[in-house]
Amino acid sequence: MEELIEYLPLIIPILMIELILAAVALIHLVRHDQYRFGNRLMWILIILLVQIIGPILYFSIGKGDD
Amino acid sequence: MRGFKAFVKKELIEFTRNYKWIILLSTFLFIGMSSPLLAKLLPNIFSILEMGGLTITLPEPTGMDAYSQFFKNMSQMGIIVLLLVYSGILSNELTKGTLTILLSKGLSRNAVILAKYTVALFHWSLFFLIGTIINHVYTIYLFEKTSFDHLFFSLFSLWLFGAFVLALILFSGTVTTGNYGGLLLTVVLLVIGLIANSFSALQKYNPVSLATDNLEILTGEVLVSERIGTVGLTVLLTTTILVFALYFFKEKKV
Repeated sequence: MEELIEYLPLIIPILMIELILAAVALIHLVRHDQYRFGNRLMWILIILLVQIIGPILYFSIGKGDD
Repeated sequence: MRGFKAFVKKELIEFTRNYKWIILLSTFLFIGMSSPLLAKLLPNIFSILEMGGLTITLPEPTGMDAYSQFFKNMSQMGIIVLLLVYSGILSNELTKGTLTILLSKGLSRNAVILAKYTVALFHWSLFFLIGTIINHVYTIYLFEKTSFDHLFFSLFSLWLFGAFVLALILFSGTVTTGNYGGLLLTVVLLVIGLIANSFSALQKYNPVSLATDNLEILTGEVLVSERIGTVGLTVLLTTTILVFALYFFKEKKV
């Protein structure tokens, strides 16, 4: 466990990327209610539960046209 | 040529406005940062996990393990994200009808395809480079042995495979209709390539092997001389696919 803490400065940026990506996707999701398929709850779950890939799926195949 | 330049400009602006850059940047940053770290921490993670009294002890990881993770992530997650981001590159504009106006104003159809490919290739190269540099810096920082034979060729193979996939996406977009037809056709073609890649006699002629043998090139199991032909063939194939894309797009009803 101690070694994991030792590498914390390297782990934090990775977590940051995941959080920022999820946050950007969630903000977009809240502001838009048009999706190519699925509903809001489904996309919220995907964005929050599937790291990295979730928000990417939302942006690439989930979100409707702006 | 003027149409080409204008369309390149339009594509570059579009890229910054529809979240594509966020997706690609975060994906490749993530791959670059997490691969060496995961390789380094995997033995620790296994020692923390108690799997019903079963303890797995892994040998001390080396820089090679970092690149093993990197190539695995790049060729799977990296290529999948590339597919998702660029699958709508043509179909989005065709279904929305935004291209129709430009084409009726005299924009050449060749310019559309070539500009789209140029911009996509530029972005793939840029983000691939970012991921690779971060991965290498992390690997140097975390591991002692950090010099590899044929590293450049191995990375170049993977990059070239990405360039091939982009051409395939554009081509698929010209021969299919609808939103997901292009993505589907590209995936089908890649799966055929993957299946063909399990026959070792065919690997030489299969672009897919450029994305699967990267680690073997580093370890020397696959010689660079064996893959030079594949690289040449892939360049030829990419060009051919693009020429076909140009042809089919000319014939296409917009």
